Amino acid sequence: MIKKFFDALNQPLGRVGLLIAALVVLSGAVWGIAQAQKPPEQPIQFPHKLHVGLGIQCLYCHPGALRGPSPGLPTESKCWGCHQQLQRFADPTTPWPTELQKLRDYVQQGKPIQWIPVAQVPDFVHFVHRPHIAAGLNCETCHGDVSKMTVYENPQVINMGWCLNCHRAKTEDNSQNNPTNDPAVSAMLAEKRTKLTDCSTCHY
Amino acid sequence: MSTDLSVPVFTNQSEEELGGKWGMVIDQDLCTGCQACVAACSMENNIPFVGETDAAYGRSIQWIRIERFWQGSFPEVKMTPYQPMMCQQCHNAPCEPVCPVFASVHSASEDINLQVYNRCVGTRYCANNCPYQVRVFNWRDYADARVRPELVTLQNQLNPDVTVRRRGVMEKCTFCIQRIRHTEDVAKSEGREIRDGEVVPACAQACPADAIIFGRIDDPNSRVSQAGLASRGYHQLEELNLLPRVTYLKGESNNGSNG
Repeated sequence: MIKKFFDALNQPLGRVGLLIAALVVLSGAVWGIAQAQKPPEQPIQFPHKLHVGLGIQCLYCHPGALRGPSPGLPTESKCWGCHQQLQRFADPTTPWPTELQKLRDYVQQGKPIQWIPVAQVPDFVHFVHRPHIAAGLNCETCHGDVSKMTVYENPQVINMGWCLNCHRAKTEDNSQNNPTNDPAVSAMLAEKRTKLTDCSTCHY
Repeated sequence: MSTDLSVPVFTNQSEEELGGKWGMVIDQDLCTGCQACVAACSMENNIPFVGETDAAYGRSIQWIRIERFWQGSFPEVKMTPYQPMMCQQCHNAPCEPVCPVFASVHSASEDINLQVYNRCVGTRYCANNCPYQVRVFNWRDYADARVRPELVTLQNQLNPDVTVRRRGVMEKCTFCIQRIRHTEDVAKSEGREIRDGEVVPACAQACPADAIIFGRIDDPNSRVSQAGLASRGYHQLEELNLLPRVTYLKGESNNGSNG
């Protein structure tokens, strides 16, 4: 039985079949990977581009980043705080853009907007925004230039190598971090490096 | 980056030289065996209830347990003081060299033993090598409502600062590292050092008798360092030279010798 099967595969037609099967598996894998890389479908196609272009600070809608681990995603009332005051939409005869209609529906029905977090770390990683902002990092250092995005997408793969590359670079005893070659700064950098590359800094 | 693969050289360092950072003192003369620390630890660290069947197999999960022993022979049996037992955070930890995937590693910055859950593959070598028997293993996905539907209501109780462990992962007391990290973060945002007694692990917080003291043992003036100097102090299985960071206090009046 098995021998027959392999004999059949050895025929020209069998080889073509084998090729097709391999292609199916390959395309399935490519499709799966592509699916995993796609940003999730958000309830509202929020145009970051427009809001950042208007000069609204990141921390206005994501204020938690300044204080604690999670920056937070804005509630419908936060959006509405600005949007209900827009004169352009005060006139009931003016047609609303589709995405704003969705927001109005959320507000009228009193339903929370179920944003889907995109810049996520797994459960076993404990990332805190506050020290990163306190260290002088800007939002765009990790999140990319949001002023060019409509719906947010991660500009890079967020994994441990990426985290550690930065932690190592920021604590390396080189001319950039220690321009005067001060031994006190070297010692501080070494201590920081121990801390920033320690497993317990993020995993507990 | 080059990795140092040389065999560690045994240096005859004393315990004082090796310092340590975080430490704990447990006063057995004060402990009433009330199990408040056990409950508090479970709540803080997302420790699951394994249920009757698994508990009967000896698979119950506790990071801290209250041990009790008896001395003498019947009828002159006397109970020794209650002995809360958790990970001793040894400096020379036997659990670390046996881990094939470096999931059980020593924290260079905090000088405690870590269990990196995402590295752990569940060989359980560390638990077998632990003389204190304080490592516990997740035999099932206890926190998964699909596996244990009766626990679905407890999902909202989980502490977001602590990983919910998966099946096949070893775990143990972490000295409430999430609280250490949180306190560090708060202290740093206020531009100061951590004050003595600011970091309180769940067990110490819950202890009604204040029998558990936690703090910096590298600070000679801290409450935990001062308490550890008492003549009643001893370490569990001191003869193994594991340099545990938990000091136990037990008075002569309270039934004598160590262990």
